[in-house]
Amino acid sequence: MSLRVVVNHEERTVASAPLTPLSTVLREEFALTGTKEVCGEGFCGACTVLVDGAPAVSCLVPVGLVEGRRVETVESLAVGEDLSALQAAMIETDAVQCGMCFPGILMTLTGFFSERPDADEEEIRSALAGNICRCTGYEAIVEAALSIRGAGAAASAVEAAS
Amino acid sequence: MSAPAPDGAPRLLLPTSLPEAVALLAETPEARPMAGATWLMRAPLRGETHPRTYVALGRIADLKTIEIGDAEIRIGAGATHAELAAALAPLPECRGLADAAGRSANRAVRAVATVGGNIASAGFAAADLVPALLAADAEIELEGPDGARRIGFEAFLTDRAALAPSTLIARVVVPRGTWRSAHARLPLRVAGDYPVAIVDLLAATDAGGLISRAAVAVGSVEPVARRWTSLEAALVGTPLDADAAAEMAKAAAGDFEGRDGADAPGRYRVQVLPALVQRAVAALAAQS
Ligand SMILES: Cc1cc2nc3c(=O)[nH]c(=O)nc-3n(C[C@@H](O)[C@@H](O)[C@H](O)COP(=O)(O)OP(=O)(O)OC[C@H]3O[C@@H](n4cnc5c(N)ncnc54)[C@H](O)[C@@H]3O)c2cc1C
Ligand code: FES
Ligand code: FES
Repeated sequence: MSLRVVVNHEERTVASAPLTPLSTVLREEFALTGTKEVCGEGFCGACTVLVDGAPAVSCLVPVGLVEGRRVETVESLAVGEDLSALQAAMIETDAVQCGMCFPGILMTLTGFFSERPDADEEEIRSALAGNICRCTGYEAIVEAALSIRGAGAAASAVEAAS
Repeated sequence: MSAPAPDGAPRLLLPTSLPEAVALLAETPEARPMAGATWLMRAPLRGETHPRTYVALGRIADLKTIEIGDAEIRIGAGATHAELAAALAPLPECRGLADAAGRSANRAVRAVATVGGNIASAGFAAADLVPALLAADAEIELEGPDGARRIGFEAFLTDRAALAPSTLIARVVVPRGTWRSAHARLPLRVAGDYPVAIVDLLAATDAGGLISRAAVAVGSVEPVARRWTSLEAALVGTPLDADAAAEMAKAAAGDFEGRDGADAPGRYRVQVLPALVQRAVAALAAQS
């Protein structure tokens, strides 16, 4: 019997050992290098992906625990050349600097908005507490998140996550 | 079911019932339980090696339930921090435990880290749920090859390192009542640090506003959390006065010998206790 995971809507067979971090499997086995592995201890959030729709730090998820589950990475957000509303807003507010933290920030906010589409600024900031950005100071990130709040944002976040 | 491992790599077994998990652990002596894995996946960083087999508890539906009864709350060991915080949100007497669950770590960790995993590690001094459950007079239901038994939380903390690996924490039982509670923690940064000290306070007041019953538990200061009984005695019969409580805490702080750690020296952990007591009492006063 082999270990199977649905990654970005596609069923994949995993060859790595079950204790291998999901982030390593995504990057090294499936070449989905959008997911960043930085601290490897759950503190920085750069490796955040959605597991069955909820944000999880993939560096602490043994791939064996997600057998049969749905995993979405940052690569799932854009459809062809069409960015998700959140991605477009980040470009619009010029939020991205070195970009290392962004895949995690996008996945945290995508998961968060699908649950709390009308979240206020304080909730958005607290949702981001587990995503460390060394460059930006967060202001433009929060501004981008606030700009897509509400029904439209929720719909696109859910679309991207489902 | 199991996730197949290449030769030599640790195996991961995925049982779907509690008896099945206990049987797998009992017949595989080197096997250890795994819940959300947020503690276990960092074992190599702590210089620990993984056992050859893990028995994952995440597919056991029975372990995930939280039942809120009139007299007690029964919390499955597999409930996540996020699930516990959400379930307790409507209960005024459980504010302390709800905050312990809902403000520890970060959102992504709270979504997977479990109650059982938080309280099981004898070597984890900074666990947020431990002092909260200690102040709440919680009890633990254990399930092992010889059946189920229920023990007090203090006895559990004393015994947990010596429990057989096939003995699982099945549920945590928290009594209900007309008291109020608060969880005061001091992390050094906002983002996901372990608290250097934790004070949990649970108190009931009489008609005149005086404290009729107080439970205070201190976490992260010593290697294992414990009740602050001298402060509890001093608080009874006094009003909910944050500054006065801080003075009492200062006078009784000699009860603790802080543990030195990379994040803070032992002395500092003890020094911040009066401020945490002050915050806890102020939070309680604001609730009533
Ligand atoms: C970034 C980060 C920040 C953190 N911040 C905090 C914090 O602020 N406060 C805090 O308290 N913790 C914090 N933690 C620690 C966090 O890992 C634990 O609190 C968590 O609750 C462990 O739960 P788990 O389900 O992931 O346990 P696991 O890693 O699966 O297991 C931990 C231990 O418990 C045992 N175990 C699990 N379930 C059972 C059971 N039912 N019966 C018997 N034994 C069992 C396992 O064998 C293992 O020894 C943080 C962790 C990270 C990664
Ligand atoms: S790499 Fe996973 S949280 Fe930092
Ligand atoms: S943009 Fe560089 S870390 Fe966030």
